[in-house]
Amino acid sequence: MTLGVLLVEDDREFRTMLREALTVEGYRVMTAASLSEARAMLIHIRPDAVIDLLVLDLGLPDGDGAELLSLIRKDHAMPVLVISARQSDGLKIHLLDAGADDYLVKPFSIGELLARMRVALRHRGAHLKAAVTRYAHGGLLIDLAAHRLSLNNKNLHLTPTEFKLLARLVRNAGQVVTHRQLLLDVWGVEFSEHTHYLRLFMGQLRAKLEANPADPQLLLTEPGIGYRLAEPTD
Amino acid sequence: MLSFKLSRYLRHWPAFLVWCLAWCLMFLLDPHLDLANLSMILILAASVASLWLAPHVSMLVSAFAILAFNWIFVPPRGTFSVDLRQHAMLLATALAVSWIVALLMALQRTYASRAELHARQVEQLRSLSEALRDAEDPIQQATRLQDFLTALIDAPVKLLLATQDAKTASFIGEVNVDERSGLWLSLRQAQAFGPGCGRHEELDVWYLPLRGRSASYGAALLSLNRSLNLALRLPHSFPPSALNIIRQQAQALCDQFGLALERAITQRQANEARSDAQEQKLRNTLLTAISHDYRTPLATIMGAASSLHDQESRLSVGQRQQLATTIVDEVGQLSRITDNILQLARLDAPGLQLQSDWESAEEIVGAVIRRMRQRNPALPLRSQIDPSVQLLYCDALLMVQLLDNLIDNACRYSQTTAPIEIVVRQAEKHIMLAVRDRGVGVPVDWRERIFDAFQSAATVSQADAWREPGTQRRGAGVGLAVCRAIAIAHGGTLNLRVRQNGGASFECHLPFVVPPVTALEE
Repeated sequence: MTLGVLLVEDDREFRTMLREALTVEGYRVMTAASLSEARAMLIHIRPDAVIDLLVLDLGLPDGDGAELLSLIRKDHAMPVLVISARQSDGLKIHLLDAGADDYLVKPFSIGELLARMRVALRHRGAHLKAAVTRYAHGGLLIDLAAHRLSLNNKNLHLTPTEFKLLARLVRNAGQVVTHRQLLLDVWGVEFSEHTHYLRLFMGQLRAKLEANPADPQLLLTEPGIGYRLAEPTD
Repeated sequence: MLSFKLSRYLRHWPAFLVWCLAWCLMFLLDPHLDLANLSMILILAASVASLWLAPHVSMLVSAFAILAFNWIFVPPRGTFSVDLRQHAMLLATALAVSWIVALLMALQRTYASRAELHARQVEQLRSLSEALRDAEDPIQQATRLQDFLTALIDAPVKLLLATQDAKTASFIGEVNVDERSGLWLSLRQAQAFGPGCGRHEELDVWYLPLRGRSASYGAALLSLNRSLNLALRLPHSFPPSALNIIRQQAQALCDQFGLALERAITQRQANEARSDAQEQKLRNTLLTAISHDYRTPLATIMGAASSLHDQESRLSVGQRQQLATTIVDEVGQLSRITDNILQLARLDAPGLQLQSDWESAEEIVGAVIRRMRQRNPALPLRSQIDPSVQLLYCDALLMVQLLDNLIDNACRYSQTTAPIEIVVRQAEKHIMLAVRDRGVGVPVDWRERIFDAFQSAATVSQADAWREPGTQRRGAGVGLAVCRAIAIAHGGTLNLRVRQNGGASFECHLPFVVPPVTALEE
């Protein structure tokens, strides 16, 4: 069965282009030009037109994407990809914090979009299914359940906080995790503004896991947003 | 009116008392003193009484007193005739002395009242000037000027004031058509009209301009019908000039206000000119940047896209792929240029708020290197981060943009084989981020100018001229200017240092902020 994508984008040219590109890739694409249209489509999903993923452009004429996100998070488990026109967009970070899966900044290549969609779909329903517990990338093997970590077949020791931090990233491997989400999940709500904790512990993780910490291949930084663990290679 | 008269008479009671006392004394001492000594009392009384009497009254009273003295005390008593020549001499001297004292006293009083008037005028001017100094917009103080002028002439005052842009003016008070044109005329010609002004002497009003240094910024209309009476209240020694004094004071107040208006208008014009110039500068930069930096990528994209569109069937797969790659690359370039231009406009705007947080230099450099690699995998990048480097307090996106631009700049000016180094070092008071290349370097007279975004298209193409042939001739535009603006927005600096064995080192020094303590594990 083909996967259904709802594309919410107000610019006609851009919408048409994306629809063509995604159709070529085998997706079943539905489009909406406004929030109200998207809302109507989400409320009355026909059984033959299931939506597996939502691609949401910010800056729609009729309002804030946050509303739509809360509607989706209430009734659906579908992943949400946010498309933003600006690098520094407060709304984008807000939506990521509120549960959107990933983001792209215009202009982006179709390749990037498809990659993000693949990761998002892979994580689809991750909170329903058994959580991802194994991760492999290059010589690194992580087994969250067994609390085991090895790099190039050598066991590696992490402090409890480092392990919690890495585990949080493993659960969303390939996806961006915002600073706030990491601070909340690893340290707790009273640390949600302590970005400096995050910097230091990420630095320690990079020192242990990366060949060259200043040119990381695994623990990738999304400046101003958060971190992204590279997609697993197995 | 009655009470007014009464009070005027009551003012003279000390003089009346003095005379009464003097006469009593003279009658009492008459048996014991000779005539000359008695007359001393008379002269004393005349002198003291003149303190409270107007000069002419004083002189008249002394003359009568001397006649009475003659009648009562000078032998033969009971007549006006004088027997002895020395007695006649005595009376004449007494009269002369008392008159001279009265006149001197009057003169003294004139001086005193003139000084008092002067002090009052100065005080008025001072208080207006203070009010004007404290006011942001002098027009707010217009009622104060109106009050002062009204107090001066005891009649309503109307004003015409130039507004802040000096092009229009507004009236304060109800004015009829004549008054309106009179005020406008006075403003335009910077001329006073009315009695004593030398022009339109027949009027019973004054039109006084509010003069600044170079022009007039308003006019005041003062009615005179009632103030003429008022003028009489001034010291009698200069009644013809009394009106003049009022007018001069009114003119001084008006001029003070005019100067304040002029100052406010000039200030405003200067501010406007400055912000206009700044806007113009920014607009020019953006236009230059757009016209210079956009055309080439746009032309390339147009060429490649139209080739794919029109010649599709005749192109080989490889050629098609090549054209598509060109489009993707050029769009990337265009997108970077756009980011830079937008950032420059944003950094130039007042009230800029940085999204600063604690950032790791390693992460920022890592993100930049990854981004550059995605664009050009063959790029020889090397990073050197001092292990002692602490956290930076900065806007991560801006810092990435700064390094991105510096590396992009280094790529453009150096041969691709020599590595480009990104160096981060910790010092006591700052953290240095540098991008170093082994390129052709920058000629001496361009070392500051390359940071200047405000270049015309002509100088930009001159800037291209010193580049090595074969290196990319592209987008000198605003990249370095954005870098410097980012450094400055963080309270830091960005400078170019020439390296000893050739090449350039662009060094950004950011102030070091001590990061908060973090509880670390074992």
